[in-house]
Amino acid sequence: MIEFRRATVRAEPEGRVLLHPVELTLTEQRVGVIGPNGSGKSTLLRLINGLLLPSSGSVAVHGMDTATMGRRVRRSVGFVFTDPLSQLVMPTGREDVELSLRTRRIPAADRKQLASDVLARFGLEHLADRSSYDLSGGERQLLALAVVLAVEPRILVADEPTTLLDLRNDARVRSLVAGLDQQVVFTTHNLDFALEADRTLVIDDGRIVFDGPPPDAVAHYRHLVGSAAPGGA
Amino acid sequence: MRGYGATLGLYEPGKGFLYRLPTAVKAAASLGCAVAVIAWRSPSTTAVALVLTVGCLLVGARLSPARLLRMLLPAAPVLGILALYQSLAQGWLRAFVVVGGITACLLAARALTLTTTTQDLLDGVVRLVRPFRSIGADPERFALAVSIMLRSIPYLAGMVVDVRQAARARGLERDPRVVVTPLVLGAVAYAHRTGEALAARGLGDEDDEDDDGP
Repeated sequence: MIEFRRATVRAEPEGRVLLHPVELTLTEQRVGVIGPNGSGKSTLLRLINGLLLPSSGSVAVHGMDTATMGRRVRRSVGFVFTDPLSQLVMPTGREDVELSLRTRRIPAADRKQLASDVLARFGLEHLADRSSYDLSGGERQLLALAVVLAVEPRILVADEPTTLLDLRNDARVRSLVAGLDQQVVFTTHNLDFALEADRTLVIDDGRIVFDGPPPDAVAHYRHLVGSAAPGGA
Repeated sequence: MRGYGATLGLYEPGKGFLYRLPTAVKAAASLGCAVAVIAWRSPSTTAVALVLTVGCLLVGARLSPARLLRMLLPAAPVLGILALYQSLAQGWLRAFVVVGGITACLLAARALTLTTTTQDLLDGVVRLVRPFRSIGADPERFALAVSIMLRSIPYLAGMVVDVRQAARARGLERDPRVVVTPLVLGAVAYAHRTGEALAARGLGDEDDEDDDGP
């Protein structure tokens, strides 16, 4: 469960409001967040695992405040970025999974086997010894997901995980996300993906302007974009 | 930005006895090679060091001679200039000792990084730093910093190529600002992204289980 209690984010030092007070409790298994570029989607997501702390108000994950219990929150919340290359920091996939497992104090001998098991679980064993630079965008994103899920977080936060992918890889990532036991909060520009959520938020200009069933949220967003476009409704 | 890891000293999966040797043994041998060619500067020491390192890579890592030569290619211009200078200044035997010694050290170091996964290197660094824990050193953080440094070299090398190509595409390759500015900004952005990604994964957090409060 993720709770936002009047969480507000301001850009320092000018004080411009990036995210107006958010009051939310997210308990659904799949939560989608849609909105225009620069609307505050990523800011909202970064609050969940303490990458960003609210300027005022608070955010709690399973009762743990992100401001005071950041380390514990990060152990519970996995975060996947839009560009997987910024997330994959080891030369090969297996080593990146092993790096994640180091945070769990797993002995070196067990780590290797466990890393292979994790890759096999996601059908990525063929990428184990390949350089991250030599993988396709889809393979990188699947690997980034495996790297984050290797430590079995209770919540997965994904910031536009399919934006850089072609249709086939977009479907693979969505299928993987759909099969997860974890609660997943994701932002996306793919409205079909947004429809797969249990609950969808629409953000515009730092405000949550709609919160409800995905079909209604998508319709609201289409109307919002349509009315903002030149000659729009 | 592809394939720079191979030329710049990262692990490559393979077979051979070097892959099975413990990291500490390989690190000690690499260090021993450097100490020997510096302490006993003679043609015979250099020749032995070269034969051993080349032999180890050909047999112990099952590299082809062509692959071994390609490995030295990035250092070839510097080694060539050094050989020429030493030959003219102190004779060809002295040039062999200096350049041959450096080549042996490069190959010995490469034998270590080529046949040892980054994770095993990290474990080695952690063990090396562990005695300094009493004076505040964090072995895991230190090892993480080393691994990020290793990873950054091929990334930044790739960035240089990309920026140059972008400048060339605009016909601006003669203007150094067009190359340097995006390179500096890109490097800073890369450092920022990497730091954020590590923080998101909880890597580099303090060892202790408890948080600051409440």
